[in-house]
Formats: sequence, structure tokens, C-alpha cells
Amino acid sequence: MNDHEELNDSAVLSAVRESVSGLPMPAAPRLEAITARGRARRRRRLGGLSLAAAGACAALVAGLAGGWGSAGPAPQARPTPQNRVPAIHLAAFSVVTGRGGATTLTLSPSQVVDPNAVRRALAEHGIPALVTANEFCRTAVQPPPGVGAVAEFSPQPRLVPSGSGRPPRPGLSVVIYGSKIPPGVKLSIGYRQDPADREISFTLIVAGAPLTCTSIPDHGPHPDDGPSGP
Amino acid sequence: MSHDQTEFAEFFQASWEPCLRAVVASTGSVSLAEDQVAEAFARAWLSWRKVRCHPAPRAWVVRTALNAGVSWWRRRARELPLAGHDPAASRDADDGLDAAVLTALRHLPDRQREVIALRVFLDLDTDTIAGQLGIAPATVRVHLSRAVTTLRCELSPSQAVEADR
Repeated sequence: MNDHEELNDSAVLSAVRESVSGLPMPAAPRLEAITARGRARRRRRLGGLSLAAAGACAALVAGLAGGWGSAGPAPQARPTPQNRVPAIHLAAFSVVTGRGGATTLTLSPSQVVDPNAVRRALAEHGIPALVTANEFCRTAVQPPPGVGAVAEFSPQPRLVPSGSGRPPRPGLSVVIYGSKIPPGVKLSIGYRQDPADREISFTLIVAGAPLTCTSIPDHGPHPDDGPSGP
Repeated sequence: MSHDQTEFAEFFQASWEPCLRAVVASTGSVSLAEDQVAEAFARAWLSWRKVRCHPAPRAWVVRTALNAGVSWWRRRARELPLAGHDPAASRDADDGLDAAVLTALRHLPDRQREVIALRVFLDLDTDTIAGQLGIAPATVRVHLSRAVTTLRCELSPSQAVEADR
């Protein structure tokens, strides 16, 4: 590499540096916020470990609820909307089952959402789901009754905190009717982990069947596809 | 506050901004980077006894933050031809990011972008970057060279000259 090329390399790297160095960066969050996030992460991890250790028995549901730090008592039977499972409100997402058995899942647009945590929360509310971030999964066969009968976008998305003193923003809200999901069928929910490009997509899949996952929602060729929207 | 806690607090205060700038350059979004860096510092706090002995703790944070959103750029790159225009330029305008640089960075493979972030914003030398990424120093030099070549082609001549003044 000669001197002329060195100079050019330097100019290129300087352009990259200048493009970001001049930007005002958000102030560091309070240390307490970071340590609280760390503790929450440790609790989630411990919750997951208790799940693995105990196996598939009803007592595990209690362990999971403890893992999230939710205050309510754990359900004693297979969760159904009628059982009134306590609502889960986290910074990244919330799961609330209201009257009539409709469960509303809301994802925050400004938080990194753990898909496993969402899946566990939905399971606690009686909804078998495959939850994926930044990819959208489906099976070759779209089982009945069609995703339109099971889930729909919330007409009035809940406002969720944006953090750093910014005004609340509408979350990505989906209303799910878990009791309408037949045995052997799951709801596949995919979302984009990107505040600037929010999207959530959902469809029904056959539990245990091979999955096809793509980085963008596949809107064809199945006429019974799940909706997708910001 | 224990010695470990004090040490972490000092590290956090001194490292937040450089780490954030490195991740902003890699993700192209201030808000996304802010969340990923916060997550990385939370993990650093959990593993502070390990991280404090790391040869480049800031690089550990940046790498962890980037891993938290590793598929983001790959997906955006795939979407670009479908959209028919460059969405980054408009979407990130509010962040004040330079659209040309942002687009150029986005066209880099993940590994090259990581090398650029560690070199430019954390001022790490080749050997440290190699140790951090688990690759040979020669490979780091190749990634850096290819990244710079791509960026040179992508950026307008006027911008490169201006930055060199």
C-alpha cells in the first residue's frame, strides 16, 4: 500500500468517524437502570433453569411466574382465559387477558424483546405459540380455522413508554383468542426487533411440522395467511 | 458500594459514549444502539469479574451489543432491493446520521462492519481486534482493507476529501 492509498484510507475512516462523532449521543442511563436490567436478566435466566430442571409438570408454571417476578399467584391448572391468569407487564412487552378470553399481546417499539419470554407468557395465558424475532416462520400447511379466526391487530394499540424521557409510542398490539386454537396447532408470531422498522406478523402452524423461516414475512402463496402490519 | 461496584460504575460512566458510538455506526440507529448497549452493560455488570479482566472491556461490550442485534443489518440489506430505494436515509434522518455513510456501512458484511467499529471508534489495534473477534491479525487486516475499499467506492469523493482536511 503506497502513501497515496494510505491517505485515502485515512480519509475514508475519518469520514466514518466524523459521521458519528459529531452526533449528540443520549446521556448514559442511570447506573441503577443498568443493574436493574442485569438483575431482571438473571431472574429470567434462573426462571428458565427451573423450567429445565423440573420437567413438564404443572408446578413449573409457578416457577416461570417467579422467574418474571410477577406478583400474582401461579395458576394451578392448565391456563385458560377463564382462569384469569395475572397480566404480565414488562418494559419490553405485556400480555393481558380480558373479559371474553381475548388476550392482548403488546410489544414495545423501543425495547429488545426476548421471544422466549413472550412465548412463555403466552403459554401461561393458554396460547401455544412459536415466537421469533427478525424472522417469520410458517409450515407448509396452514391448519384450520385460519388465522383470521384466532388473531387480529388491535384497533387501538396501547401506548408504551419509549424510555429516555421520550413520549410514549403506540406498541405493536395483537388480540389473540387462545380458546379458538385447535389442539396440535400453534400461533406463529414473528416481529422485527427494530424501532425504526416495526412489523409483526402471525399465522397458524402445525405443531411439530417442519418450519420455513424467512427474514421478511412470506405473504404467499397461501390465501389463508396471517396478517402483517406495523 | 463495594470495590467491584465502584469499579464497574467508573467503567460504565467512562465507556458508555464510545461504546454507543461504535454500535450506532454498526446498527445505523441511535435508539436501537442505545438499547443494545444498555443490554450489553447489564450483561457486563452480571459478569463483571470476568469482563474486568478482559484485555479490552469496551470491545467486550460492543461485541455483546452487536450480537444482540446481529441479524438486523442482514435483513435490512435483503430488503433494500425490494423497497427500490434506500430506507435508511429517510428513517434515520431523525437520528442525524449521515445517510451516505450509513448506506455505505450497511453494504458491508457483518464482520467487516465489526472491524470498522472496533478500529475507528474504540481505537483498537489489529492484534486486540483479532483477539476480540477470535480471528488472525492477518484476517483483521484483510477485513479492514476490504471494508475501506468498499466504503471508498460508496462514499462520494467530495465527502472523503472533506473529511481528510
